[in-house]
Amino acid sequence: MMHQPMKHNRPPMMKRIADASEPYLYSAPALILIVAVMLVPLVVGISYAFRDIQLLNPFSGGFVGLDHFRALGQDQAFYGALRNTLWWTGASVFLQFTFGLILALLLDKPFYGRGLVQALVFLPWAVPSFLAGLNWAWLFNPVIGPLPHWFYALGLMDEPHNILSDPHLAMWGPIAANVWWGIPFFAITLLAALQAIPRDLYEAASIDGAGPVQRFWSITLPFLAPTIAITVLLRTVWISNFADLIVVMTNGGPADRTQIVASYIFTQAFKRLDFGYASAIALVLLALLLVYSMLIVLLRQTMLNKG
Amino acid sequence: MASIDIESVRKSYGPVSVLHGVDLAIKDGEFIVLVGPSGCGKSTLLRMIAGLEEVTGGEIRISGNRVNDLAPKDRDIAMVFQSYALYPHMSVADNMSYSLRLRKTAKDKIASAVSSAATKLGLDPLLERRPKALSGGQRQRVAMGRAIVRQPKAFLFDEPLSNLDARLREQMRAEIKKLHADLKATSIYVTHDQIEAMTLADRIVAMHGGVVQQVGTPLELYDTPANLFVAGFIGSPGMNFLEGRYVKTGEGAGVRLSDGTVVPVAPRAGLAPETTVTLGIRPEHVVIAKDGMLEATVDLVEPTGFGIILHLSLHGLPFKIFTLDRDALSAGPTVRVDFPQKHLHVFDETGSRAD
Repeated sequence: MMHQPMKHNRPPMMKRIADASEPYLYSAPALILIVAVMLVPLVVGISYAFRDIQLLNPFSGGFVGLDHFRALGQDQAFYGALRNTLWWTGASVFLQFTFGLILALLLDKPFYGRGLVQALVFLPWAVPSFLAGLNWAWLFNPVIGPLPHWFYALGLMDEPHNILSDPHLAMWGPIAANVWWGIPFFAITLLAALQAIPRDLYEAASIDGAGPVQRFWSITLPFLAPTIAITVLLRTVWISNFADLIVVMTNGGPADRTQIVASYIFTQAFKRLDFGYASAIALVLLALLLVYSMLIVLLRQTMLNKG
Repeated sequence: MASIDIESVRKSYGPVSVLHGVDLAIKDGEFIVLVGPSGCGKSTLLRMIAGLEEVTGGEIRISGNRVNDLAPKDRDIAMVFQSYALYPHMSVADNMSYSLRLRKTAKDKIASAVSSAATKLGLDPLLERRPKALSGGQRQRVAMGRAIVRQPKAFLFDEPLSNLDARLREQMRAEIKKLHADLKATSIYVTHDQIEAMTLADRIVAMHGGVVQQVGTPLELYDTPANLFVAGFIGSPGMNFLEGRYVKTGEGAGVRLSDGTVVPVAPRAGLAPETTVTLGIRPEHVVIAKDGMLEATVDLVEPTGFGIILHLSLHGLPFKIFTLDRDALSAGPTVRVDFPQKHLHVFDETGSRAD
């Protein structure tokens, strides 16, 4: 063992304080910014869930503990919204993913004018969601839109009526708009993943004797799996939070048949102006989505470890 | 096992022609190396044999059957890629058995084929690993294993050793040669490395600009290159070339260099006097002699350990000598050199060998 010579001359006090605080000083601007713009609103928002905050009631603002959550447990409208959220999210993600994957596979093959088609295909993503919603609402409107007449001509409808006012079909309106609007997201990300697959793997597989279907199952899909997992996770969270189309197209109606949790929060906060209750619902939604995300992340980890 | 016949095969991408009619007859069990600089069309030719590129013109036959329009999987060939192209999500064993599983081969047959290939290549302890947990050399072996489990009619190798370091390349080269001696399968091997070509091939096919320049055994190409391209491409350090005019002398023939020196050569029947020719001599054949007929300036001395490479200027042009004589280390500033007649190559105006 080497012995260090004893240090007799300790640095002065000021120098030691400066040395110790150096890392904190460097990171302080970023930390202060993050706390100010992210944590403060989050904490204030969460605190609303435990307070009585009604914009039209000047006497509100007091602490009510878990009252909002107890009320939520009894709220049938909330349970309905939860079921609708599952339906809305599941159908939207499934259809967006399926069509996005098909589109990505088509765009992965070289053909004349592919650059132009790629640009056009990604156009819906650039349309503001409320515009897309308005547009689709009009498309479904028999007075100005062609869709009901086409459905009628195809024999799918007894008369050309507006599906957005049909309690059994209304949800398909926003879902159709959402699928149209969201396909490009899956197409772009899956196309990028497809193009990252080394071509010689396909060549090796075709020499090994794999046909197109076998190549898809044994090369394309395993390579896409991590991207699929992460995009489906992201889209699920976004779509279950995504109330724009529903608010614009049906406003949750008819008879709450298209009310999802996110639009229910919007209704509670900005129609009934009950921010406390809306925050409580939002907190529950946040918890549900966190659980869901953790599950997907775990799934992805196990897949990557296996892979 | 199969013979492969290539008959005036052409390839073009739109207006760009990359192969201008290749003829080649490969015998059953032969090890053929396609060699040439990048862009010479050697990989394209290999990929056409594999079925990965369409044949623009001509015919490819495997065991006498035309395969131009057959899908790769129906040609019964195996290919080893430069990148190895191992399936990253499958274990070594699964990589090797993939083709057999696709063909619905019986499980016990697959197991025995994989284990015998693994033993041959020393892969036994690695069978459960995934490619990313393997070193470059091990991946290379797995790629070979994947090819041999199927016992295909022919093996195609597309620069399989380019991604390995020099020592490993040397080792794998020897293993490929042993494997071929063992399996005796028809093999076509593409490389730009002339050492690989020389050491592995039964016959070398030297290609340049989409045209076959010469087909022959390694020593044929080395000793009697058919043209300037082959002469310059095969051999390291490369052959020296000197411009001159072919002349008749009293006792025979010679090549008159720019300074007027006449280098005596054996008479060439096909050459008229005063035609422009190129004189070629390999660096190891140049003799350093006190009374040599030409004087050259020493630019650089490169000891390789095994021998010494002298970089010279001869009539202002670069010129190399390879010698085992360590005295060459202190050569300079000028040396006199001689060209033994039997080692001189003469190429005519078109670059073809003149004998």
